[in-house]
Amino acid sequence: MKTSCHGYHGRYMRMDCSTGESRAVALPERTLRDFLGGSGLGVKLLLDEGSAEVDPLGPEAALTFVFSPLVGSPLTTSAKFAVVSKSPLTERINDSLASSAFALAGKKTGHDAIVLVGRAPEPSILIIDNRRARLQPAGPLWGLTNSEAQSRLRNQLGPDFQIATIGQAGEQLVRYATISHDGRHAGRGGSGAVLGSKNIKAIAVHGTRRCEWASPADLATLAKQLSEKSFGPATAKYRELGTASNLLVFNRLNVLPTRNFQQGSFPNAEALSPEQLSKTHSRTRASCAACTIGCEHIYSLGNQQDGMTSGVRLEYENLFALGPLCGIDDSSAVLAASRLCDDLGLDTISAGGTIAFAMECVERGYFDRVGLDAPWLRFGDAPALLRAINEIATGTDLGQRLARGSRHLAHEIGHDTIKFAPQVKGLEIPGYDPRGLQTMALGFAVGARGADHNRSGAYEVDFSETVDRRNVGPEAAVLAVETEDKAALMDSLILCKFLRGVFDDFFVEAAQMLQLVTGWHVSADELRETAQRIVTAKKHFNILAGWTPAEDTLPARMLSQPLPEDTRAQLSAARLRELVTAYNRARGWSPDGRPLSD
Amino acid sequence: MSVKIELFGIPRARAGVAEATFNGDCLGEVLVELAVRYPELAATCIDGQNLRPGYAVNLRGERFVTDPETSLCNGDTLLLLGLDAGG
Repeated sequence: MKTSCHGYHGRYMRMDCSTGESRAVALPERTLRDFLGGSGLGVKLLLDEGSAEVDPLGPEAALTFVFSPLVGSPLTTSAKFAVVSKSPLTERINDSLASSAFALAGKKTGHDAIVLVGRAPEPSILIIDNRRARLQPAGPLWGLTNSEAQSRLRNQLGPDFQIATIGQAGEQLVRYATISHDGRHAGRGGSGAVLGSKNIKAIAVHGTRRCEWASPADLATLAKQLSEKSFGPATAKYRELGTASNLLVFNRLNVLPTRNFQQGSFPNAEALSPEQLSKTHSRTRASCAACTIGCEHIYSLGNQQDGMTSGVRLEYENLFALGPLCGIDDSSAVLAASRLCDDLGLDTISAGGTIAFAMECVERGYFDRVGLDAPWLRFGDAPALLRAINEIATGTDLGQRLARGSRHLAHEIGHDTIKFAPQVKGLEIPGYDPRGLQTMALGFAVGARGADHNRSGAYEVDFSETVDRRNVGPEAAVLAVETEDKAALMDSLILCKFLRGVFDDFFVEAAQMLQLVTGWHVSADELRETAQRIVTAKKHFNILAGWTPAEDTLPARMLSQPLPEDTRAQLSAARLRELVTAYNRARGWSPDGRPLSD
Repeated sequence: MSVKIELFGIPRARAGVAEATFNGDCLGEVLVELAVRYPELAATCIDGQNLRPGYAVNLRGERFVTDPETSLCNGDTLLLLGLDAGG
């Protein structure tokens, strides 16, 4: 079953959690070359499993953990893995990425992917030691937070095992539950609920099988050069301030989603900026395994006088979603809410988006009309935010309603509240107001997994002089396609997107890396085709799952109301339709978005 | 022309101020002045009359500009920021 190319094992493990039996399945070299790894290989495996048309929380649904050819290589930021499944939040494709030693150990088990199907008869732990897999009862681990469960399991199994877990949110099948590993999260789309539906609390991996590289000496030289470039000015922002420094920029440009996207700026944004947070909360830096950037900024939970040592990793997305989006300007509360989401295993963007939507519904009296009793759930109320997060993960009556996301809650409430539910395809919108960043608006509308800033980097176009970000025309569609293709390749190789600024031509340099790892004579053009194939495969998955062209849009509020602080930031439904049609044409698809051929 | 520059992220950290006022008729002139006043900022963000990769200037909150010859009006505001996103 050994593949002839380097960088891969040429097999994946297919584990039936219902029976506890696993088997190895060969991965042909053609499949690997066509889909690479990570997100690309994940969607291919799901299509082969027939997962598009099944209940994403049913035993027949497949959940894939996918490594990549670069994992384990000396290339910086390559210790990453993808978790790919049908999303229980969107009912569409979902690929979430996470980092660090789990990727290294998982690949060293001797597999390029681990595919889970079935449902364990009782809450269980899946332990994979090289090519042997077994289930054991989760026992008292069930019910613990991510950090507690990982700590106890590490004590039990020893330091050689790397562990990924779900928190209480995954156990409760919260549709936006995460899978956590060592403080990093496969965050979006509810992969934690899929693992929870299989009655699996944790996966522990250990292995000793290394892949060989085709040209190890040249690869080491290239890796050294890439590491040196990663220390340069293009990544200084990530090292020194982190992505949280976006907050004041977005606020100044009136694209910081505030109070459920009712405004584009937040009066007290300065209080949540990393510059201010550093004055009141001690901060340390950390990095993933095999990374030279070190972007993680860990803030203490209490203020410096409290002497608290417990901390939380802060990124722009959890800051915006649990801060301005919910009208919260208390920095300690935002940090505590973020830590709570991490511990319980909740995607912070969807948690914040759903709670902010509920806050607006309460404010407008919609909760009362359908008999929901939560008058305490108000914008700006920090204790209310923390209470709502806890209720989501513990499954109270209100929590269960919030646990299905803003789209489902809007349908439950009715009264046209869907018009201001902050989601696309059911996935809550990240911290970029699409009215003021209209190439990003297109990226959100057409995104295979819904509104997403990681599968489309179209905001880069808006932050350039190439377009008028508040009046984008169809010419932006080609640029949106380019950023999406680049993301598809990065997510399949896999490399961290924070590296993207150090490449002169990513496709050319990626081809060089892949050639040194695998021995394939691969060109930049081939990789462009590969990226397009992966994006198209996601669309095929969605069509099988029931996608219709009407899904490629934005909430009605964003297509009918300009940003109050900037009335030029306005996007009509007709103009968004033009953009989507231009995008579909740029992809070579039918005008309504159907691939014309393979 | 008197022009205000608002600094964000790394540019603010390097300069140690959130905003400053300069004289200049075009973007390039203002960037040169900025580099003279804040050498540490220049080392990271400015290369002559241009910005280094990863940094951007927005004019009046309305449009991003890179051409050093971009004309400025009295009272204009420039935003100097890092192009970091995601997370």
